[in-house]
Amino acid sequence: MADRATLSVRSLVIAPGASPVTQAIAPGEIVGLAGLDGHGQERFLKVLAGLERPAAGDVTIEARAITSFRKAVASGIAYLPRDRRSTGIFPTQSVLDNFAVSTLSRDMRFGLLSFAARRRRYEAYREKLSIVAPRPDASITTLSGGNQQKVLLARALALEPAILLLNDPTRGVDVATRHVLYDVFRGLAADGMALVILSSEIEEILLLCHRVLVFREQQVAAEITGNEMKSDTVIAAMFGRAA
Amino acid sequence: MSGFRRMAERWRGAGFATVLLVILIAVNLLLNPSRFHPSAWGALIGLAAPLIGAALASAPVILAGRGGIDISVGPLMGFVNAIVIQLLFLKLGISSPLVIVPAALLIGAIVGAANGFLATVVRIQPIVATLGTYLILTGMTLTILPAPIGPAPVWLKAMAGPWSALPLALIFLFWWLVRQTPYYDQLMAVGSDDRAAYTAGVPVTKVRFIAYVMTGILAACAGLMLTALIGSADPNIGPTYTLIAIAAVALGGVSLAGGRGGLLGAAIGAIDIFLLQSVLTAFNVSTYVLQIAYGVILVVAVIMTALQERLSGRKG
Repeated sequence: MADRATLSVRSLVIAPGASPVTQAIAPGEIVGLAGLDGHGQERFLKVLAGLERPAAGDVTIEARAITSFRKAVASGIAYLPRDRRSTGIFPTQSVLDNFAVSTLSRDMRFGLLSFAARRRRYEAYREKLSIVAPRPDASITTLSGGNQQKVLLARALALEPAILLLNDPTRGVDVATRHVLYDVFRGLAADGMALVILSSEIEEILLLCHRVLVFREQQVAAEITGNEMKSDTVIAAMFGRAA
Repeated sequence: MSGFRRMAERWRGAGFATVLLVILIAVNLLLNPSRFHPSAWGALIGLAAPLIGAALASAPVILAGRGGIDISVGPLMGFVNAIVIQLLFLKLGISSPLVIVPAALLIGAIVGAANGFLATVVRIQPIVATLGTYLILTGMTLTILPAPIGPAPVWLKAMAGPWSALPLALIFLFWWLVRQTPYYDQLMAVGSDDRAAYTAGVPVTKVRFIAYVMTGILAACAGLMLTALIGSADPNIGPTYTLIAIAAVALGGVSLAGGRGGLLGAAIGAIDIFLLQSVLTAFNVSTYVLQIAYGVILVVAVIMTALQERLSGRKG
């Protein structure tokens, strides 16, 4: 596990004219992002990942500014993209290659790659995430959607991040796999990782998260915690009604 | 076991080309046993080497995907040929391989870097960028060398005779080493899906740029093999290799969309074309018909590869 770190968001304006967001996401916390599609929650997550630039304000992790995706990765942020078919998997590559692509240099032995070391690293995550893949050297497209997603999660976790950003991680994933993923997320948080989960399903957010930020019109319309975390409250905030 | 599987996986990609290879070898052996006798292998490989080299050179940028292609490979071979013979050997009187080989590779790397800069940093479409380089190199070659001239250093000519397998072996050793570095996985990831590669933290532009430099260096190797074969300098031969090399790469199961295939497939594709040429020449077929045959084989090969992929996709 990498060092624990707090992700700080200061006066962040996602889109011109919206009111600024200030947040601190602490180690061990699971924060949910909710909102109707296109109301800024995805943009917020991408700004945290350094993939998009905000209109104003900054994102820092332990005093290091996140201004680009590369800096985000170097500072211990891992990002799991939403659309795994278009921005996640490499369809022509094997399961093992798909897993290793973000952390290739960790398998270097005397200047050359050790495929045995890569295999060992993969096996550890395969067990942890209970990935069902009979052959790691088979093409990733032979796996089910849920298992492809687990391989992508393994790729992100292999970076040993302090902060894990998940963009709708259970989209198109079967129910059994979802629960495996939920357990994994809770376990990671218990080990001190901070997780930010964007989900299009309110139940999922209520089940997993310690608090939820509800987005409406490119700004945080409500921050909901504790006993207030009920689907009525979240839906009301999503539609801009007082609960 | 897993090594065997990896091997099988790799051969399957070039499936049709491999079947064609076996058939063509058999036909050639029947038609012309003396030409394919082991004692003639040196000369035979030397004869095929420039085409194999050109195909190997074309492969890295194609593997890198998003329309990556380098049509200046042929003219670069011709340019290296002209510089080595006309400038280095005849004008400056340099014949040492220790100067000629590094100089040729350096030229290849510079041209490759120029192509890579245009295609990945300036972001001109690769086919247009390398078309520019194609024309520039063709013109420069004709300026340096208006008419064919000879000879070539003795050691270089030996590279098309008894030592003809050496340059190809060195290229494969080089590629084997590349495969043992993170770069190879990054190249295949970029070729497979560059947006996914970016979100996985792969430096996409850098990876593509290096692919162009590798193509340039390999094209320079092919240029040396061409020089060895013709034992002279000829400004008109180089450019003819461009399109046939791309045909060989496609035949060898390397997807022009990127991320699929490898240098072994490209080499097999090139050998197929060479052997086909050899069969048809044995029948005294005119070179015009030869062109038609290349075209037909290429189309059939691409269809077969697509069918094979669709079938194996359904099974999985």
